[in-house]
Amino acid sequence: MKSSLTIHKVIVGLLVIYLLIPLVGTFLFSIAGKWDHTILPESYTMKWYIELFQDERFYDAFRRTLFLIVMSVGLSVVIMLPTIFIITVYFSKWEGLLQAVAMLPYGIPPIVGAVGLIKVYSDGPIQIAGTPWILIGAYFITILPFMYQGIRNSLRTLNAVQLVDAAELLGATKFQAFRTVVFPNIISGILVSTLLSVALLFSEFAFANLLVGGRFETLQIYLADKLNSSGHLTSAIVITYYSMILLLTGTVLKLTFRNEKYPVVSNKKRILSFFRKQYSHKNTTLEGEK
Amino acid sequence: MSYVTIDQVTKGYENQVVLNDISLVLKKGEFATLLGQSGCGKSTLLRSIAGLEDVDLGRILIDGKDITNLSPRQREVGMVFQSYALFPNMNVFDNIAYGLKMKKIKNIKSRVKKMIEMVDLIGKEESYPHQLSGGQQQRVALARALVMEPKVLLLDEPLSALDAKIRKNLQKELKRIQKELDITTIFVTHDQEEAMTMSDRIFVMNKGQVVQSGSPSEIYTSPVNTFVAKFIGNYNVCNMEAFRKLVRSTELKGNEVAIRPEVLQLVSVGEDSLDLQENWVIKGIIKDVSMTGNVLRYEVETEESVFLVDYLHHRGNMFEQGARVHILVPKKECIIL
Ligand SMILES: Nc1ncnc2c1ncn2[C@@H]1O[C@H](COP(=O)(O)OP(=O)(O)OP(=O)(O)O)[C@@H](O)[C@H]1O
Ligand SMILES: [Mg+2]
Repeated sequence: MKSSLTIHKVIVGLLVIYLLIPLVGTFLFSIAGKWDHTILPESYTMKWYIELFQDERFYDAFRRTLFLIVMSVGLSVVIMLPTIFIITVYFSKWEGLLQAVAMLPYGIPPIVGAVGLIKVYSDGPIQIAGTPWILIGAYFITILPFMYQGIRNSLRTLNAVQLVDAAELLGATKFQAFRTVVFPNIISGILVSTLLSVALLFSEFAFANLLVGGRFETLQIYLADKLNSSGHLTSAIVITYYSMILLLTGTVLKLTFRNEKYPVVSNKKRILSFFRKQYSHKNTTLEGEK
Repeated sequence: MSYVTIDQVTKGYENQVVLNDISLVLKKGEFATLLGQSGCGKSTLLRSIAGLEDVDLGRILIDGKDITNLSPRQREVGMVFQSYALFPNMNVFDNIAYGLKMKKIKNIKSRVKKMIEMVDLIGKEESYPHQLSGGQQQRVALARALVMEPKVLLLDEPLSALDAKIRKNLQKELKRIQKELDITTIFVTHDQEEAMTMSDRIFVMNKGQVVQSGSPSEIYTSPVNTFVAKFIGNYNVCNMEAFRKLVRSTELKGNEVAIRPEVLQLVSVGEDSLDLQENWVIKGIIKDVSMTGNVLRYEVETEESVFLVDYLHHRGNMFEQGARVHILVPKKECIIL
């Protein structure tokens, strides 16, 4: 019994070290002054962060990314919430179709999608190729599966249909029923999907690069550009980036645990897979640096 | 005077008829029960009355008013769901007050307080649904419906999720509240015992139709067909041809005969105090004895079929497995179907 427990601990420990080393390394590099032949840096400095936070381009890129994310996620909530609610509550026949549509984006690699989008939208009635609008459209589709699953699961676990029935019998209109009984109970579920979507879009590179690239420099593009200049600066960007995403995921986790009462299982699964994605992302960045 | 009238209501889903030309009439203040097997359309009928389902044909009237095409919120009907459907984001007080707030009714506080007293939930006003026991949640659901003073109260298997003891208590309490408010109630259950103890009137449903209606004792003592006989109180239902063979008589007519297990008597073979004037006598062997609380149930194998015989459980009523017996069947208790 005891020895197997130790083995478990060792395995978990190794895993943590494996996952943390690149991160710690990046962090140290981002605050290192001189670091040539020693295990730890010979001197420390904040100058990379200062340089980063004094760069107008960084702020511009950050603002653009924020704009894109708020627009696509906001649009997604505003459109998907009523759609999913109406379909699950009143047209359950069509649910299968909606689910199929919502899952479709998983099947299309971003590169293929991007090429297609550019082709379609570079001439004809809607010429938005190269503008942020096409990116917002693509992002809307990218996060569709997340939003769909999150909202639908919240509605399911809540048994929203019956609550609406009960509220209607007590004199509420359909809209009042939604506002007073359904919405307050799914808001944290929606928040979780929203934050996950935000985190996902923060690290999305393929669409950003292919669809708009340098014409609308987002944080991702800025980072890619800086990779060629100073390694220390890149590390500082990565760490800043990572802190933001950590903050987001932390909020998500906190929200999920607070909602243990009405657990939304697939959200947790999603958080796990999300973590994995983040780590692999960090690893490749670091390798590129060496 | 009829207060609730269901007039030839028919309802189907896709290619399946769920309510087949149902008509029924209730008096004001009556406690009516829809009794039937799972899937026979009880919930669908109740939801149609509430306006949560549209009917294909027929009319529904409450208090002389045709409500067939009104929305649920205009029908003045209260409903308690099997799974309670309490609002998880509101405490007990707010759950009960919800309808009053939606209808912008005055003195919400005093009305809710009165209701909380009535369903015995004092001190739980601030609790949220997930902090309550099943029975307490049930009371909240009941109070939430009753506070609106609906014309008709619909209860869809409200007690089926509770364990036997709490269930018995709540049955009594529900009945008390119903009498106190004199509210016309339609109660759905598939438990015949529950239907018997609670109802003024029972409607036995089968496959989307009402097959028999009447007071509990009417239904129990004179079932109109095999389905009701089997569903209510474990009647022994025997093919008439076989029964004629068993009792060696040709004077009986009809297709089937139904006999309640508790009117049958067992006598050991050899004892010769048999009253052949009043009873039929059937030979048999005790195949199995089982006990359900205060009742001993014998399964007696005869030449044609197995008869169930119920006895109150006390000494002197004991027959061993394998014992040869005579079953005395009172002629008056044979229901010819
Ligand atoms: N939304 C629906 N779509 C299709 N068929 C339905 C729907 N709702 C109910 N049915 C069918 O209607 C029939 C009657 O259902 P109903 O819920 O009224 O049964 P019930 O008598 O309440 O049964 P139970 O005792 O199990 O609650 C069932 O055969 C069911 O399959
Ligand atoms: Mg039902």
